[in-house]
Amino acid sequence: MKELKKVQTVASYTFQEVLKSKVLYNIMFLGLGLLIVTYVAQQFTYGAPSRIALDFGVGALSLSSVGIAIFMGVGLLSKEIENRTVYMIVSRPVKRSSFVLGRILGLNLILVLNILILSLLTLTVYFLTGGAVQPLIFWTILFIVIEASMVLLVVSLLSLLTSATLSVILSLVIFFAGHAIKEAQMTTFTQNRPVLEWILDFYHVALPAFGKINTRDLLLYNQTVDGQFLMSALGYSFTYSAFLVALILIIFEKKNLD
Amino acid sequence: MLEFNSVTKVFKSDFFKKPVVAVNDLSFKVDAGSIVGFLGANGAGKTTSLKMAMDFTRATSGEVHFEGLGQTKNEIFKNIGFLPERPYFYPHLSGRAFCHYMGKLVDMKKVDIEKQISYWAPKLRIDFALDREIKTYSKGMLQRIGFLTALLHDPKLIILDEPLSGVDPIGRKELKDIIVEINKLGKTVFFSSHIVSDVEEICDKVIFLKDGKLVYQGRVDDIINKNLKPVTRIRYTLNNETLVSKVENDNKTAKLKELIESNADIISIEQDKPTLENIFYNVGS
Repeated sequence: MKELKKVQTVASYTFQEVLKSKVLYNIMFLGLGLLIVTYVAQQFTYGAPSRIALDFGVGALSLSSVGIAIFMGVGLLSKEIENRTVYMIVSRPVKRSSFVLGRILGLNLILVLNILILSLLTLTVYFLTGGAVQPLIFWTILFIVIEASMVLLVVSLLSLLTSATLSVILSLVIFFAGHAIKEAQMTTFTQNRPVLEWILDFYHVALPAFGKINTRDLLLYNQTVDGQFLMSALGYSFTYSAFLVALILIIFEKKNLD
Repeated sequence: MLEFNSVTKVFKSDFFKKPVVAVNDLSFKVDAGSIVGFLGANGAGKTTSLKMAMDFTRATSGEVHFEGLGQTKNEIFKNIGFLPERPYFYPHLSGRAFCHYMGKLVDMKKVDIEKQISYWAPKLRIDFALDREIKTYSKGMLQRIGFLTALLHDPKLIILDEPLSGVDPIGRKELKDIIVEINKLGKTVFFSSHIVSDVEEICDKVIFLKDGKLVYQGRVDDIINKNLKPVTRIRYTLNNETLVSKVENDNKTAKLKELIESNADIISIEQDKPTLENIFYNVGS
């Protein structure tokens, strides 16, 4: 119970620290940009202004949250070690695991805040332009939160193993590859080459397959999604996130904080 | 209170590079209620030793023990106040918010944190800047707020890594006075420094490292007395001029007799005492 309180304390001060580092201004700026772009795009579109609002909104949500996850996440743990701020925390009666969980939770709260603000803007424009309520909108927003959180875990893990620059590059590669892998598996080029197919299958299992939790295209093309797909996506993302968290905790526990 | 038993730390930065022994078979003891200075040149292994004591980095071999602080790691760390070298804190938090953060991590109540802040902040002369963002702090102010967070939870053992570096002479004097004050309150203070005169001024005991190895551990007075030269320094005035004469101890009576006969006014007679700095300089080189 005490350790949970410490996780909460670290998370709360991480949230405050990131918030005061003007990331909120960037979110506001992005929100304003999103409104302008949506308005301009609608002027060139005939018949489906609400679809445009949704398309731009969901795109901005995803990109900004993944951007925050990668560029803020890369220093979440590694910068703490580099700047020796971690010494101030782990020299107190705080387990290393509580520190790591608190930091991750704190930045996740920032991601949620970012997605919440941009979602509100997007939905306001969407409903004002005549969009109808669809449950898939809310599922898509939830999956964007989960996706950003998984990217944050990936970049945090990489930052403990390699340099900051390489962590950012690798995270971007993993993010884009994680979306493209499903399509790549379905091409005849892959299907005609068993070795390549095996490599892609292995990648699909070992590295995060973001395509499995992507409902954005389904939402934009007004398709329906069954409950089994949603449950399987949720199950996959939670299992994979738990695996990443466990890896981060083991590495950080063993790491010499030099 | 703190004991190092044959602690060795070897760093291997690269597969092809030769391992570096940062700390070599180090054993020493810090007794409860004392102020102990941890001396050594830059790169002697002081910071690495403190990092091993705080479990930031693990020893290649040997053990670090804490006595009388608790059984579990959490209990032990609750009784330690630590300040790292060149501390860097969260720049966007205010000094007060940072103190509350550190206090909450040791399960302190808000009211107790504020009480401790109002007691120590004026003494550390950081009270005026507590509500400013840490990014506006100077190096000395960072050191002071770090010191404050180390004292906040009233720990039994205070471990400070180069607490006086980057602080101006007045600030150094003030921090030294505070170290003495917290020691008088019954706390054990163990601090590293490469400034020998600071250590000589306030420490009961000194531990001296060179190239990762223990060179000396013991009382400051003992090492000075061991290194006393058989020389007496006589200060006197003759013909309105103040002079100092250094004579072998065996010859001092004869010299004094000679001075008195020549109507010299003797001001002082004292045995020539080496400073701790001179002793360690000789040992070090």
